[in-house]
Amino acid sequence: MSSHTRREFLKMTSASLLVLPLSLTSSAAEGASKRYAMLIDVNKCFGCMACVVACAAENNVPLGRFRTWIERLEKTDGTNIFIPKQCNHCDDPPCIPPCPTRATYKTAKGLVLINDELCIGCGACVQNCPYGARFMNPVKGVADKCTFCDHRLAYGLLPACVEACPTGARVFGSLAEENELTAIVRSKPTQVLKPHTWAKPQIYYLSLPDEVNR
Amino acid sequence: MLPGYYFPNEAAEPLLWHPVLFAYTLLISGADLLILASLAYLFGSLRRAIPLMTMLGIGFFAVVLLGPLADLRSVHRAPLILTSAHIAPTPTNPGLSLIALQTYAWVIALVLSIGFAVLMFSYYSHQASLTATGVRKTVYQLFSLGIITPEKYRRAKLAAKAIAVAMLPPLTLWGIYPASMLLTQTWNPVWRGWPLLPVIYFADTFVVATAVFIFVYYIWKLKALEHDTLLPILKIHAAGSFSVAALTGLQVAFWWLSSPFMAEMVTPLLPLMYAVIGLLLLSFFLSLLSIRYLQANIAVSLVALAGTLTNKWNILINGQLISKTGLAFLELELHGPWVLETVAPVAAGIALFILLSIVFPLGEGA
Repeated sequence: MSSHTRREFLKMTSASLLVLPLSLTSSAAEGASKRYAMLIDVNKCFGCMACVVACAAENNVPLGRFRTWIERLEKTDGTNIFIPKQCNHCDDPPCIPPCPTRATYKTAKGLVLINDELCIGCGACVQNCPYGARFMNPVKGVADKCTFCDHRLAYGLLPACVEACPTGARVFGSLAEENELTAIVRSKPTQVLKPHTWAKPQIYYLSLPDEVNR
Repeated sequence: MLPGYYFPNEAAEPLLWHPVLFAYTLLISGADLLILASLAYLFGSLRRAIPLMTMLGIGFFAVVLLGPLADLRSVHRAPLILTSAHIAPTPTNPGLSLIALQTYAWVIALVLSIGFAVLMFSYYSHQASLTATGVRKTVYQLFSLGIITPEKYRRAKLAAKAIAVAMLPPLTLWGIYPASMLLTQTWNPVWRGWPLLPVIYFADTFVVATAVFIFVYYIWKLKALEHDTLLPILKIHAAGSFSVAALTGLQVAFWWLSSPFMAEMVTPLLPLMYAVIGLLLLSFFLSLLSIRYLQANIAVSLVALAGTLTNKWNILINGQLISKTGLAFLELELHGPWVLETVAPVAAGIALFILLSIVFPLGEGA
């Protein structure tokens, strides 16, 4: 009886050892299959700041600091265009290598995040972000930036800025799936900010003027 | 703030790395004093200068991390640099952090430097323990490492030479570390476009190291200055000063020739760069003069220190105020007792040096 139980136990253990890596792999594959990105149609943005306010409210962004912001550019013909900006969740993020404690990291879904418990507040990542998208949070004493509202994604919700945009200028989704984002990215010419940094940013723009790319 | 295009998060905190870090870049000269001491020990030259260089070097190098620690926003998590160090790339953490790498290099270099100094002074410590009383006797007995005969001291000297060789790589890394970091791990358009920065920094730390040595030596010896001790130091200083002045001039020329955008962007840095070139050339000529008139070396030291202070301020503080867009120069805002904060790490280094100079005889030849 005792030996039979032991055999059964060993069978179950070996079976679970086989199954466990498979389940982990499938979970990782699912994560890797979701490469989150955003598309911003500059022609649709009229600078209402709803996204900026929604982001600040959702993420408790300190006054004077911005996880997302809107730049205004006056064209030669006197008209204005508005360019929303934020962390680009780059494929090759320059902000990660300088971090001495591995606090800044990249997830399988392509998000570039910060572990507040590991961040010592040295500011190295802020200095190495070409887009000025990071800042030191004076309340928490750590580096801060856009997370694509990771906490909302976990519940199947859209990032706060996307949800708040009244004109649909921001489109969010996974590049690995068939959706509005991939349909536009595949069919229309898109631009990214500062391509010369080789950071492979994952915020795509439609109708981005050349002057912005500084 | 000058008109121009900059990012809003830059406006919120134009100076991310505060002047206390500027003190840290000066204290790195301690690493160069230790490089000089180890090279002199290995080649059997500058025997009378080695103890002073070693103790000054250890005094400065031991406190070098106080500046960066003071600048951390969450300093209570600082030990994570050692326990969660980003010194190897992984899929979630690509690349490696120069800050983490240099923290380990600091630990290694400091332990080796202390070992080098203790071995160098071991026989003296034994002799001192014979006449000392109380706590001093225990301290000297500890530092003698049981080296109580000339024969054992000869072996200790061999060990000290081996340590002197081992010290060189981590100390050299420290000599170029801040500049390497500014050049490769920041996206400041000026630092990124300053390819000569590591060379300038390396040469500059020799200028600071020798200037500090000359200053301390002058105060210590006053009118009993020894030509044989000072001459090689003055030669190194002259070479360093001229190199930094020439390299700075070369960098300015490079910017002018590279692009009109770059030339315009660096305009706010140029007045102090010209001042640096002038001061270091003056220090170079004064060094040559001091070789003949030894009493003039205090002027060499003061002029060089003024030049290097200006240089470090310009690179670290003014450089940082140039926006990542390259199109604006942000206004400098300093808060709180920043002067005291900046001076404190240097003062700690001086205090440690004084303590070491009480325990170990700086007048002993190595």
